[in-house]
Amino acid sequence: MDARDAVATLQNRERNSMNRMVSVTILAALVLMAGPATATEHRHVPPVESRSTLAIGATLDESGRLWLARVEDRWLWVSSSADGGRHFSAPVVVSSVPEEIAANAENRPKIAVARDGTVLLSWSEVLPKKFTGNVRFSRSTDGGRSFSAPRTLNDDGRVTSHSFDALAIDGAGRVAVVWLDGRDRDAAREAGGTFVGSSLYFAQSADNGARFDANRRLAGHTCECCRTALVWTAEGPVALWRNLYGTNTRDFALANLDTGKQRRVTDDEWQIDACPHHGGGLAVDGRGIVHMVWFTQGRARQGLFYRRIEDGRASPPMSLGSAEAQAGHAAVAAAGGMVLIAWREFDGRGYVVQAIRSTDGGATWSSPQRLAESGGAADYPLPLTDGKRSMVVWNSAAEGVRILPLDPDAPK
Amino acid sequence: MIGRFLCGFVAVLAFAMPVRAAEPAAFTVDSLAKIKAQYAGRPFILGMWSVSECSYCIDELTMLGKLARTHRSLPLVLVATDTPAQGAAMQKILTPLGLAGVDSWVFDDPVPERLRRAIDPSWYGELPRTYLYDGEHRRETIVGILSEQRLRAWLRRHRVAN
Repeated sequence: MDARDAVATLQNRERNSMNRMVSVTILAALVLMAGPATATEHRHVPPVESRSTLAIGATLDESGRLWLARVEDRWLWVSSSADGGRHFSAPVVVSSVPEEIAANAENRPKIAVARDGTVLLSWSEVLPKKFTGNVRFSRSTDGGRSFSAPRTLNDDGRVTSHSFDALAIDGAGRVAVVWLDGRDRDAAREAGGTFVGSSLYFAQSADNGARFDANRRLAGHTCECCRTALVWTAEGPVALWRNLYGTNTRDFALANLDTGKQRRVTDDEWQIDACPHHGGGLAVDGRGIVHMVWFTQGRARQGLFYRRIEDGRASPPMSLGSAEAQAGHAAVAAAGGMVLIAWREFDGRGYVVQAIRSTDGGATWSSPQRLAESGGAADYPLPLTDGKRSMVVWNSAAEGVRILPLDPDAPK
Repeated sequence: MIGRFLCGFVAVLAFAMPVRAAEPAAFTVDSLAKIKAQYAGRPFILGMWSVSECSYCIDELTMLGKLARTHRSLPLVLVATDTPAQGAAMQKILTPLGLAGVDSWVFDDPVPERLRRAIDPSWYGELPRTYLYDGEHRRETIVGILSEQRLRAWLRRHRVAN
């Protein structure tokens, strides 16, 4: 950057900060004039600060069509590709009113497509009050040409933390959304007590998201700031989240939403009074084997790991990636016998996407494939498979969304 | 015209508002070296935090703010892992906690790993995280909330502040 650029950048910064000041002032004035506002009215207040929205949602439907959900300038957009990502349809806007949508790091819009073609979306809306938000839902019953007015799934009426949503469908009409919820903590504080961590709540629908049942609590005392994961198994929807054991041991729990049956699935003994911002990933394959990936800095082990759970038995943790390269934020996808894991590393210069694949339900694995790089800001990679093809979807600031196919002849 | 009117409006409001701290400085790969040079031969506290999604950071900052009121010239350096765009939001948090005057920095790199590596290659981004540097700049790492008890003991041991 030469001196002239530096000056221009500085001037821009000054201008931006002046604009920000002006908007803050106008906002303050409007709020004062309007008096007390309700939670729903808050949504229409313009943002004071800009957030990165690189985190996208992606899925493959039954016909192999690739769907993307992405946030730009406070709008949620959906587009799809019938040719594996070479060409995409013109993006269709989901929300009817712009809103602050969490779409960075561990928060991203979720998208799923039912067998009848219904397109379902969930996301977390950020409200102006610190650490508060709403879990939102919308769907399309005309193949993604138009979307229903977004609705808020959390039904507690509180302005509190509702975020880190995860969405799963059975494909035939059942829909589940789980999220981290601050209502129990707030209620405990109002009663003069304390509450460790957050809670995990969910809402279910039996008609592809036309109506949702009342919210139910799956667990209390969860980690506050890690993504949740949700898959639909033959026994119903199963969630994975970073739980709190004792006062501050942040290991993972798995639970079935229908039965409420819960079990601890990691024994890393990560005791920390902090926000790891690093959750787990979950997938179920054609034989019903559950595949999970997670990160820990526990006493028992440190790093990024994979394990599979078959008939209730968990395999030993398998280490993923290079700790020197900060391997992290893995996700897993599975269909038929195919299992695909992708994660992100930092090689000292920039980000690298690594992936491994199994064609026998996670019994044996390919060596890692270095799929792509980026020198700038980037999302975490999203693996996708329909049992035949496998690909990783990755968004980065400089390169945009890339669809990275896995080499079918990768060495074992 | 409208711009000028708004500027005037802002100026009037600015006078009516309490004194606000300066914007945080941009933290880049060589910033830690600068901070260490500034504290050459002296102990200091390097506290990492974030504006968004880190309620534990607020608890730790509250404790640090309390301590800063009783320990004049507490050698505290705060680094937020957010972006310079969140400078105003940072000050909004620090000011009521009594930390407006603290040496405050904010990550300025699209790849935060680059900055984390410059500070501590074993740090994956968990927050809060604190480094207690002694006079020879050997450091203790505290992962998660730093307790007031531990910090007070460290301050006594290194004869810091007051």
